Amino acid sequence: MNAHPDLSRRAFLGRLPVVTAGLAVPVAAVAETKGPHWAMLVDTRRCIACQACTIGCAVENALPEGDFRTVVATYAVRTPEGRTGLSVLPRLCNHCEEPPCIPVCPVGATFKRADGVVLVDGERCVGCAYCVQACPYDARFINHKTGKADKCTFCSHRIEAGLLPACVETCVGGARVFGDLNDPESEIGKRLKAAEGRTRVLKPEAGTQPRVFYIGLDDQLAGRVAGASATEMMWRPTHAGA
Amino acid sequence: MNTTVEVLGFAREPGWLPWAVQYFFLIGISTMAFFLSLPGLLWRRAGWEGLSRRALLAALVCGLAAPLALLADLHQPGRFLNFYLHTNFGSWMGWGAYFIPLYVGGLLAYAWSALRANRAGLTPAALVAGSGAVLVLLYTGMETMIVAARPLWHSFLIPVFFAVTAFAGAFGMTALFEALAGRREAPALNRGLRLGQWAVLLLVAAWLLLALSGAAPYREALATIQGGWTAAWIWFIASTALTLWLARGSSLLLPALFALHGAWLARWLVFMGGQSVPKLGATHAAQTLSLTPDSLLGIAGTAGLCLFIYIVLTSLVRWDEPAKV
Repeated sequence: MNAHPDLSRRAFLGRLPVVTAGLAVPVAAVAETKGPHWAMLVDTRRCIACQACTIGCAVENALPEGDFRTVVATYAVRTPEGRTGLSVLPRLCNHCEEPPCIPVCPVGATFKRADGVVLVDGERCVGCAYCVQACPYDARFINHKTGKADKCTFCSHRIEAGLLPACVETCVGGARVFGDLNDPESEIGKRLKAAEGRTRVLKPEAGTQPRVFYIGLDDQLAGRVAGASATEMMWRPTHAGA
Repeated sequence: MNTTVEVLGFAREPGWLPWAVQYFFLIGISTMAFFLSLPGLLWRRAGWEGLSRRALLAALVCGLAAPLALLADLHQPGRFLNFYLHTNFGSWMGWGAYFIPLYVGGLLAYAWSALRANRAGLTPAALVAGSGAVLVLLYTGMETMIVAARPLWHSFLIPVFFAVTAFAGAFGMTALFEALAGRREAPALNRGLRLGQWAVLLLVAAWLLLALSGAAPYREALATIQGGWTAAWIWFIASTALTLWLARGSSLLLPALFALHGAWLARWLVFMGGQSVPKLGATHAAQTLSLTPDSLLGIAGTAGLCLFIYIVLTSLVRWDEPAKV
């Protein structure tokens, strides 16, 4: 038996009784197994841009108003034939294998754990925002309340308690699948295998090796989008300093 | 080709605030003004004494104000201690935490030796300050250049651009202090101003050539300059040419002010303009100046601090007195 539970939502609920039985596995057997490497698969075909993940994350992580660790960017795409449809890009920290935010940090506050999660040590962070500049995905920001670097943590406090990240938990369409890349039997392992050759990551040319994978992602949304922004035409909240 | 409209967009606010522009502006001018002080004060070249003393004043005013602007960008100045408690020597910014005190300390020792006619201490102090100045110019350029996520910054021309605009700005600041001291003309300063403006124009031309030839990341960087930022870049080029024209005569004040404006605008365009470009999506970060500490009040406050240091230094030291070394 695998020492680490599959944390995709359906599998998690389905295997609740097994979790209890798993506690009886001898410690030695657990120690011999390779640790988890957390990742997320986003099936954009299932995303309806309801922003439940955005709000779930903001509430779970007590983010100040106007700050977001994840958000679903939403696009109206019109084809040359005149058909218009909705495209989405759920955005979050990509927990890269080669995170450009780590080497630039002048105080070593950003680090990558053995389980693949990239975190910020808030005690050490000086709020210089160098990591904000280095991130190719605009995933980082300076928290308006703390004045320090902030980003998605894959809800590390939840996964340590055996729970799913808040955005996965709240996704009504089941578009976000979270799990252990090292476990081929996990939901994310199976889904990635089934979609082999059809998954993609954001800005692969950046060489960061993201651990957030996408299925059904519109090609032109994988980087900077050459298009108009309705947001720029609307009112936006402003902050009077941190 | 599809037409895309970002219905629900998401733009990150600039992480480096106008404080950063102030810091890069002041520290760049200070380092270059320090070099401008060497001919008269260290090498004792005839005719350079007065100009070099004014350059030293410019280096001190800007060099003492710059670190405070940098501390303000940390949101909580006391955090600077972590730079020394947990230094990451793999980061250019981590090294910068050591280069700044090296330079400012060396500059103070150099100024003390020069003004107290302490010939024995002058050369070692100049060596320390000179090393610090080179390292500060190196780290400020490199920490910006290595940011691959921002096409406008990710160019080997950026450190050169900062150095050249700082060179022009140092002549501008020294000329301003000359004008404030009542001097009507200083041909050497106007020659330096012209040289600086020519260098800036050549550098911008080289950058544009690279962008138009399709070289990465210059082409992408050029494509990201849109709307008001395009107008601002055009004004930067035009005002540089105007400074060049103004500096052809003997007048000091106007070319000096324009040169300072150019050195500041160069950093505003690179930092605030560069950060306005989204890395994902289509929504640009809105950049508006407001009456807050992180915006206009910060800029005005830094200028006020420079004025305060200028008043203190000119009250305590007679800068018109010929150098004794």
